[in-house]
Amino acid sequence: MTTALAALLVIHVIAGIVAIGIHNVVLMHLLKKAPNYIFISRLAWSVVALYLISWATSAYYYVTYYGTAVKPRILAGDAPFAHNFFMETKEHIFLLLPFVALSIALCASYLRAHPDDDALRKSTAFLTLVALGIGVATAVSGMVVSGSI
Amino acid sequence: MTIMKLLILMHVIGTVLGVGAATFAEIFYTRFNSDNIITDDERNTLAVIYTIMRTGLFLLVVSGFGFLLYFRLTEHVGIFSSPSFWAKMTVVAVLACNALLLQARIMPFLIGTAISLTSWYAALALGVFGKISASYVEILIYYVIAVILVALALQWIRARLHGPPKANV
Repeated sequence: MTTALAALLVIHVIAGIVAIGIHNVVLMHLLKKAPNYIFISRLAWSVVALYLISWATSAYYYVTYYGTAVKPRILAGDAPFAHNFFMETKEHIFLLLPFVALSIALCASYLRAHPDDDALRKSTAFLTLVALGIGVATAVSGMVVSGSI
Repeated sequence: MTIMKLLILMHVIGTVLGVGAATFAEIFYTRFNSDNIITDDERNTLAVIYTIMRTGLFLLVVSGFGFLLYFRLTEHVGIFSSPSFWAKMTVVAVLACNALLLQARIMPFLIGTAISLTSWYAALALGVFGKISASYVEILIYYVIAVILVALALQWIRARLHGPPKANV
Protein backbone atom coordinates (compact mmCIF):
# COMPACT_ATOMS: atom_id res chain seq x y z
CA MET A 1 0.00 0.00 0.00
CA THR A 2 1.33 3.43 -0.89
CA THR A 3 1.63 6.18 1.71
CA ALA A 4 -1.16 8.13 0.00
CA LEU A 5 -3.54 5.17 0.21
CA ALA A 6 -2.60 4.56 3.85
CA ALA A 7 -3.32 8.24 4.56
CA LEU A 8 -6.70 7.94 2.82
CA LEU A 9 -7.55 4.88 4.92
CA VAL A 10 -6.57 6.73 8.12
CA ILE A 11 -8.67 9.77 7.13
CA HIS A 12 -11.62 7.48 6.27
CA VAL A 13 -11.56 5.79 9.68
CA ILE A 14 -10.83 8.84 11.84
CA ALA A 15 -13.39 11.05 10.05
CA GLY A 16 -16.00 8.30 10.38
CA ILE A 17 -15.32 7.66 14.07
CA VAL A 18 -15.33 11.37 14.95
CA ALA A 19 -18.60 11.76 12.99
CA ILE A 20 -20.19 8.91 14.97
CA GLY A 21 -18.94 10.50 18.21
CA ILE A 22 -20.38 13.89 17.25
CA HIS A 23 -23.74 12.32 16.35
CA ASN A 24 -23.68 10.83 19.85
CA VAL A 25 -23.19 14.35 21.27
CA VAL A 26 -25.98 15.70 19.02
CA LEU A 27 -28.34 13.01 20.29
CA MET A 28 -27.47 13.69 23.93
CA HIS A 29 -28.15 17.40 23.45
CA LEU A 30 -31.42 16.72 21.60
CA LEU A 31 -32.57 14.72 24.61
CA LYS A 32 -32.12 17.72 26.92
CA LYS A 33 -35.14 19.72 28.10
CA ALA A 34 -33.86 22.95 26.54
CA PRO A 35 -31.37 22.07 23.80
CA ASN A 36 -28.95 24.67 22.43
CA TYR A 37 -29.93 24.41 18.75
CA ILE A 38 -27.15 26.73 17.56
CA PHE A 39 -24.58 24.32 19.02
CA ILE A 40 -26.50 21.28 17.76
CA SER A 41 -26.83 22.55 14.19
CA ARG A 42 -23.12 23.42 14.03
CA LEU A 43 -22.25 19.94 15.19
CA ALA A 44 -24.76 18.35 12.80
CA TRP A 45 -23.29 20.20 9.80
CA SER A 46 -19.76 19.22 10.82
CA VAL A 47 -20.91 15.58 10.78
CA VAL A 48 -22.12 16.01 7.18
CA ALA A 49 -18.67 17.32 6.20
CA LEU A 50 -16.91 14.50 8.06
CA TYR A 51 -19.08 11.78 6.49
CA LEU A 52 -18.51 13.24 3.03
CA ILE A 53 -14.73 13.23 3.66
CA SER A 54 -14.91 9.67 5.00
CA TRP A 55 -17.08 8.66 2.04
CA ALA A 56 -14.80 10.20 -0.62
CA THR A 57 -11.56 8.80 0.83
CA SER A 58 -13.01 5.32 1.24
CA ALA A 59 -14.42 5.37 -2.29
CA TYR A 60 -10.99 6.12 -3.77
CA TYR A 61 -9.33 3.47 -1.58
CA TYR A 62 -12.01 0.90 -2.46
CA VAL A 63 -11.86 1.47 -6.22
CA THR A 64 -8.09 1.72 -6.60
CA TYR A 65 -6.78 -0.72 -3.98
CA TYR A 66 -9.29 -2.82 -2.03
CA GLY A 67 -10.77 -4.71 -4.99
CA THR A 68 -7.43 -5.81 -6.40
CA ALA A 69 -5.20 -6.16 -3.32
CA VAL A 70 -7.38 -6.78 -0.24
CA LYS A 71 -10.56 -8.51 -1.42
CA PRO A 72 -8.77 -11.56 -2.98
CA ARG A 73 -6.82 -12.10 0.26
CA ILE A 74 -10.01 -12.03 2.35
CA LEU A 75 -11.84 -14.40 -0.02
CA ALA A 76 -8.90 -16.82 0.07
CA GLY A 77 -8.58 -16.63 3.85
CA ASP A 78 -10.43 -18.18 6.79
CA ALA A 79 -13.23 -15.62 6.86
CA PRO A 80 -14.54 -14.91 3.35
CA PHE A 81 -17.82 -13.77 4.96
CA ALA A 82 -15.93 -10.64 6.02
CA HIS A 83 -16.13 -9.50 2.41
CA ASN A 84 -19.21 -11.39 1.20
CA PHE A 85 -21.41 -10.18 4.02
CA PHE A 86 -19.79 -7.40 6.03
CA MET A 87 -18.10 -5.39 3.26
CA GLU A 88 -20.97 -5.86 0.82
CA THR A 89 -23.43 -4.68 3.48
CA LYS A 90 -21.17 -1.89 4.72
CA GLU A 91 -20.50 -0.42 1.30
CA HIS A 92 -24.22 -0.12 0.57
CA ILE A 93 -25.46 1.00 3.98
CA PHE A 94 -22.63 3.52 4.25
CA LEU A 95 -23.99 5.23 1.12
CA LEU A 96 -27.00 6.33 3.17
CA LEU A 97 -25.11 7.93 6.02
CA PRO A 98 -24.18 11.31 4.48
CA PHE A 99 -27.80 11.78 3.41
CA VAL A 100 -29.15 10.84 6.83
CA ALA A 101 -26.59 13.21 8.37
CA LEU A 102 -27.70 15.92 5.92
CA SER A 103 -31.34 15.41 6.95
CA ILE A 104 -30.37 15.74 10.63
CA ALA A 105 -28.42 18.92 9.90
CA LEU A 106 -31.36 20.43 8.00
CA CYS A 107 -33.74 19.56 10.84
CA ALA A 108 -31.30 21.07 13.36
CA SER A 109 -31.11 24.27 11.32
CA TYR A 110 -34.92 24.42 11.18
CA LEU A 111 -35.07 23.87 14.95
CA ARG A 112 -32.73 26.85 15.39
CA ALA A 113 -35.47 29.05 13.98
CA HIS A 114 -38.35 27.08 15.54
CA PRO A 115 -37.12 25.88 18.95
CA ASP A 116 -40.65 25.15 20.19
CA ASP A 117 -41.27 22.40 17.66
CA ASP A 118 -41.03 19.51 20.11
CA ALA A 119 -42.33 16.90 17.67
CA LEU A 120 -39.49 17.72 15.26
CA ARG A 121 -36.96 17.60 18.13
CA LYS A 122 -38.13 14.08 19.00
CA SER A 123 -38.12 12.98 15.35
CA THR A 124 -34.63 14.43 14.84
CA ALA A 125 -33.45 12.63 17.97
CA PHE A 126 -34.85 9.36 16.60
CA LEU A 127 -33.20 9.93 13.21
CA THR A 128 -29.91 10.67 14.97
CA LEU A 129 -30.28 7.42 16.89
CA VAL A 130 -30.79 5.59 13.57
CA ALA A 131 -27.72 7.32 12.11
CA LEU A 132 -25.76 6.36 15.21
CA GLY A 133 -26.83 2.73 14.83
CA ILE A 134 -25.86 2.67 11.15
CA GLY A 135 -22.55 4.37 11.98
CA VAL A 136 -21.65 1.90 14.71
CA ALA A 137 -22.67 -1.08 12.52
CA THR A 138 -20.51 0.29 9.72
CA ALA A 139 -17.54 0.78 12.06
CA VAL A 140 -17.86 -2.75 13.45
CA SER A 141 -18.10 -4.12 9.89
CA GLY A 142 -14.90 -2.26 9.04
CA MET A 143 -13.18 -3.86 12.02
CA VAL A 144 -14.32 -7.33 10.94
CA VAL A 145 -13.05 -6.70 7.40
CA SER A 146 -9.71 -5.36 8.65
CA GLY A 147 -9.31 -8.34 10.95
CA SER A 148 -9.92 -10.87 8.19
CA ILE A 149 -6.95 -10.04 5.98
CA MET B 1 7.62 10.49 19.47
CA THR B 2 6.36 7.61 17.37
CA ILE B 3 2.71 7.26 16.36
CA MET B 4 2.41 4.21 18.61
CA LYS B 5 3.66 6.12 21.66
CA LEU B 6 1.31 8.99 20.87
CA LEU B 7 -1.62 6.56 20.65
CA ILE B 8 -0.62 4.89 23.93
CA LEU B 9 -0.40 8.31 25.61
CA MET B 10 -3.82 9.30 24.27
CA HIS B 11 -5.32 5.95 25.31
CA VAL B 12 -3.89 6.18 28.83
CA ILE B 13 -5.05 9.79 29.25
CA GLY B 14 -8.54 8.80 28.05
CA THR B 15 -8.66 5.88 30.48
CA VAL B 16 -7.34 7.94 33.39
CA LEU B 17 -9.88 10.71 32.76
CA GLY B 18 -12.73 8.22 32.34
CA VAL B 19 -11.96 5.99 35.33
CA GLY B 20 -11.15 8.98 37.52
CA ALA B 21 -14.26 10.89 36.51
CA ALA B 22 -16.51 7.82 36.94
CA THR B 23 -15.11 7.28 40.44
CA PHE B 24 -15.45 10.91 41.48
CA ALA B 25 -18.90 11.22 39.91
CA GLU B 26 -20.02 8.43 42.22
CA ILE B 27 -18.28 9.87 45.29
CA PHE B 28 -19.61 13.38 44.70
CA TYR B 29 -23.11 12.22 43.86
CA THR B 30 -23.29 10.18 47.06
CA ARG B 31 -21.95 13.12 49.08
CA PHE B 32 -24.10 15.77 47.39
CA ASN B 33 -27.22 13.65 47.74
CA SER B 34 -26.75 13.28 51.51
CA ASP B 35 -29.70 15.66 52.04
CA ASN B 36 -31.59 14.20 49.06
CA ILE B 37 -31.31 17.56 47.29
CA ILE B 38 -28.90 18.39 44.46
CA THR B 39 -28.33 22.16 44.41
CA ASP B 40 -27.44 24.09 41.24
CA ASP B 41 -23.78 24.33 42.31
CA GLU B 42 -23.64 20.60 42.96
CA ARG B 43 -25.37 19.94 39.65
CA ASN B 44 -22.77 22.11 37.86
CA THR B 45 -19.93 20.25 39.58
CA LEU B 46 -21.38 16.92 38.48
CA ALA B 47 -21.87 18.29 34.94
CA VAL B 48 -18.15 19.15 34.77
CA ILE B 49 -17.24 15.64 35.94
CA TYR B 50 -19.54 14.08 33.33
CA THR B 51 -17.94 16.27 30.64
CA ILE B 52 -14.50 15.00 31.72
CA MET B 53 -15.83 11.43 31.58
CA ARG B 54 -17.16 11.93 28.04
CA THR B 55 -13.86 13.50 27.00
CA GLY B 56 -12.10 10.42 28.35
CA LEU B 57 -14.47 8.16 26.40
CA PHE B 58 -13.84 10.16 23.22
CA LEU B 59 -10.05 9.92 23.63
CA LEU B 60 -10.33 6.21 24.42
CA VAL B 61 -12.42 5.46 21.33
CA VAL B 62 -10.37 7.59 18.91
CA SER B 63 -7.03 6.22 20.16
CA GLY B 64 -8.50 2.71 20.17
CA PHE B 65 -9.38 3.02 16.51
CA GLY B 66 -5.94 4.55 15.98
CA PHE B 67 -4.44 1.31 17.35
CA LEU B 68 -6.62 -0.75 15.03
CA LEU B 69 -5.50 1.32 12.07
CA TYR B 70 -1.88 0.97 13.10
CA PHE B 71 -2.22 -2.81 13.40
CA ARG B 72 -4.08 -2.95 10.09
CA LEU B 73 -1.44 -0.92 8.25
CA THR B 74 1.42 -2.93 9.79
CA GLU B 75 -0.45 -6.21 9.09
CA HIS B 76 -0.57 -7.22 12.78
CA VAL B 77 -4.21 -8.27 12.68
CA GLY B 78 -4.04 -10.96 15.40
CA ILE B 79 -5.73 -8.62 17.88
CA PHE B 80 -8.97 -8.82 15.89
CA SER B 81 -9.38 -12.47 16.89
CA SER B 82 -8.74 -11.81 20.59
CA PRO B 83 -11.79 -12.36 22.88
CA SER B 84 -10.59 -9.69 25.31
CA PHE B 85 -10.44 -7.17 22.45
CA TRP B 86 -14.06 -7.83 21.47
CA ALA B 87 -15.09 -7.83 25.14
CA LYS B 88 -13.44 -4.43 25.56
CA MET B 89 -15.25 -3.16 22.46
CA THR B 90 -18.53 -4.42 23.93
CA VAL B 91 -17.85 -2.74 27.27
CA VAL B 92 -17.07 0.58 25.55
CA ALA B 93 -20.27 0.26 23.48
CA VAL B 94 -22.22 -0.39 26.69
CA LEU B 95 -20.65 2.75 28.20
CA ALA B 96 -21.81 4.88 25.26
CA CYS B 97 -25.33 3.36 25.24
CA ASN B 98 -25.59 3.76 29.01
CA ALA B 99 -24.70 7.46 28.77
CA LEU B 100 -27.46 7.92 26.16
CA LEU B 101 -30.04 6.02 28.20
CA LEU B 102 -29.16 8.01 31.33
CA GLN B 103 -29.49 11.25 29.39
CA ALA B 104 -32.88 10.15 28.06
CA ARG B 105 -33.85 9.20 31.63
CA ILE B 106 -34.77 5.71 30.46
CA MET B 107 -32.08 4.01 32.54
CA PRO B 108 -32.68 3.92 36.34
CA PHE B 109 -29.97 6.05 37.95
CA LEU B 110 -28.68 3.37 40.33
CA ILE B 111 -28.23 0.80 37.54
CA GLY B 112 -26.81 3.43 35.18
CA THR B 113 -24.14 4.56 37.63
CA ALA B 114 -23.26 0.95 38.46
CA ILE B 115 -22.88 0.15 34.75
CA SER B 116 -20.78 3.28 34.20
CA LEU B 117 -18.44 2.64 37.12
CA THR B 118 -18.05 -1.08 36.40
CA SER B 119 -17.58 -0.55 32.66
CA TRP B 120 -14.79 1.97 33.13
CA TYR B 121 -12.93 -0.36 35.51
CA ALA B 122 -13.63 -3.34 33.23
CA ALA B 123 -12.18 -1.46 30.24
CA LEU B 124 -9.15 -0.57 32.36
CA ALA B 125 -8.71 -4.17 33.53
CA LEU B 126 -9.09 -5.63 30.02
CA GLY B 127 -6.53 -3.13 28.73
CA VAL B 128 -4.04 -3.85 31.50
CA PHE B 129 -4.39 -7.65 31.44
CA GLY B 130 -4.18 -7.83 27.65
CA LYS B 131 -4.51 -11.40 26.41
CA ILE B 132 -6.41 -13.55 28.90
CA SER B 133 -7.47 -17.17 28.66
CA ALA B 134 -11.22 -16.58 29.21
CA SER B 135 -13.58 -16.66 26.24
CA TYR B 136 -15.69 -13.69 25.12
CA VAL B 137 -18.84 -15.08 26.77
CA GLU B 138 -17.00 -15.82 30.03
CA ILE B 139 -15.63 -12.27 30.18
CA LEU B 140 -19.11 -10.84 29.63
CA ILE B 141 -20.57 -13.11 32.34
CA TYR B 142 -17.91 -11.83 34.80
CA TYR B 143 -18.76 -8.31 33.68
CA VAL B 144 -22.51 -8.73 34.28
CA ILE B 145 -21.83 -10.25 37.71
CA ALA B 146 -19.54 -7.30 38.51
CA VAL B 147 -22.26 -4.82 37.46
CA ILE B 148 -24.79 -6.53 39.76
CA LEU B 149 -22.34 -6.57 42.68
CA VAL B 150 -21.43 -2.91 42.18
CA ALA B 151 -25.13 -1.96 41.98
CA LEU B 152 -25.82 -3.80 45.24
CA ALA B 153 -22.77 -2.20 46.89
CA LEU B 154 -23.80 1.29 45.76
CA GLN B 155 -27.34 0.73 46.98
CA TRP B 156 -26.02 -0.46 50.34
CA ILE B 157 -23.66 2.52 50.68
CA ARG B 158 -26.36 5.03 49.77
CA ALA B 159 -28.95 3.42 52.02
CA ARG B 160 -26.50 3.25 54.91
CA LEU B 161 -25.08 6.74 54.59
CA HIS B 162 -27.78 8.86 53.06
CA GLY B 163 -31.08 7.06 52.91
CA PRO B 164 -32.76 5.87 49.69
CA PRO B 165 -31.25 7.34 46.50
CA LYS B 166 -33.19 9.98 44.61
CA ALA B 167 -32.65 10.23 40.84
CA ASN B 168 -32.70 14.00 40.50
CA VAL B 169 -29.49 14.62 38.51
